Amino acid sequence: MASGRNQKSSRPIRVLLAKPAIDGHDRGVYVLARAFRDAGMEVIYPGLLPTPEEMVRIAIDEDVDVIAISLLNGSHMTIFKKVMELLKKNHAEGIAVVGGGIIPAGDKPMLEKMGVSGNYGPGTPMSDIIDHIKKRARESRSKKW
Amino acid sequence: MKALADGLKRGDRGCIARCISIAEDEPEAFSKLIKGIYDPNRIPRVIGITGPPGCGKSSLIAQLAPIIASHGNKLGIIAIDASSPFSGGSFLGNRIRMEETVSSSNIFMRSIATRGAKGGLAASIMSALITLSCAGFDTVIVESVGAGQADVDILDIASTILLVLAPGLGDEIQAMKAGTMEIADIFVINKSDLEGAYQAKRAITAYLSTLSGPQSKMIANTSCTKKEGIKDLAGMIEKHEKSINTKSFIERAFSMEVNRIAKELLSRRVDGLLARNPHAMSNMLKGRVDPYSAAVKLLDTEKKHGK
Repeated sequence: MASGRNQKSSRPIRVLLAKPAIDGHDRGVYVLARAFRDAGMEVIYPGLLPTPEEMVRIAIDEDVDVIAISLLNGSHMTIFKKVMELLKKNHAEGIAVVGGGIIPAGDKPMLEKMGVSGNYGPGTPMSDIIDHIKKRARESRSKKW
Repeated sequence: MKALADGLKRGDRGCIARCISIAEDEPEAFSKLIKGIYDPNRIPRVIGITGPPGCGKSSLIAQLAPIIASHGNKLGIIAIDASSPFSGGSFLGNRIRMEETVSSSNIFMRSIATRGAKGGLAASIMSALITLSCAGFDTVIVESVGAGQADVDILDIASTILLVLAPGLGDEIQAMKAGTMEIADIFVINKSDLEGAYQAKRAITAYLSTLSGPQSKMIANTSCTKKEGIKDLAGMIEKHEKSINTKSFIERAFSMEVNRIAKELLSRRVDGLLARNPHAMSNMLKGRVDPYSAAVKLLDTEKKHGK
């Protein structure tokens, strides 16, 4: 097949990249968006400050495989939890949730338990994040019908 | 599959979303899925929005959509963005402008990447419209990718086409005279609060006056920042929709779709033929045959061996 063309055989991973709650630091999210796109993913970015309710509705309407949430303001325990609850309530537990931002090491096990994996901090190599999202997307797809 | 089709008929958002993904990824599975539940005559009317990047298409839709929905239409929005020709990935950012209205008016919106398609749309667009028709949608706004002069595929599916322009495109309007300028039903000069809106309107009026025959094309001035002219534009869309023969649009859209799918299947067969007959390429590269003859010969091989 011709190189430089989208390969029809492989379905691109769809990711919702979101920065919820009062947190306007969007530089990092743009860097991630660019890297995900260059890794062949379809990145849905809804702008700043979506509420957990909006995030879950968008994730369902766009049929994403993964929600990638970034938070730098310390409210991850509240917001991530809320997203997980809403996914469950809307029968969309199949969608994988990956977290990142300023997350103290002590919070990580609890987040993992909730189902939010990754929880990467500053300085994480981009390839680690992309590999992890690919892995979670594969799991998410196997749960879809 | 059955549960998915049932969910679709109920209008379940998750099922609609899943069906559109299936249409994008596995056209064959999609064809099985809609068997018996779709009716070509119920395909939604399509308002197509096209125009160069950055002229405010998404912002305009954000303000136009609630007005159209308030007229009792079950409205969906499909926004198309370009896929990277290198990675196949895409940045789907139309929601940045639209999210507020979409969430407050409960409109179903879906972003679709072009995945290599040219002409301003995605290959799965008709399937997405069929999906929405099964879920009871009667009107869909389709936003094309930031389009250039030759991206006129929206013509195949939309009954009303808006070409969104902005002040300061003066010379570009000249350049666009063939192509997108010809397909527009309504010219929208967005950002009309900016200097140059009058000149833009004059350039379009001058262009329209050079066309022969009776003209039904309209020009609207809008400003999304000042929220001006949007209601008038919605009125123009309704006026245009009343003046057209919907049936002929449906026929055209479906015949183009069959044509597209047939070409896609043929193209896959040609890929296969090329892979199975490496000597066809090597003969050509050695100068024994020219490319045209090589292609004819390649197709003859298929005839000889049957399919």
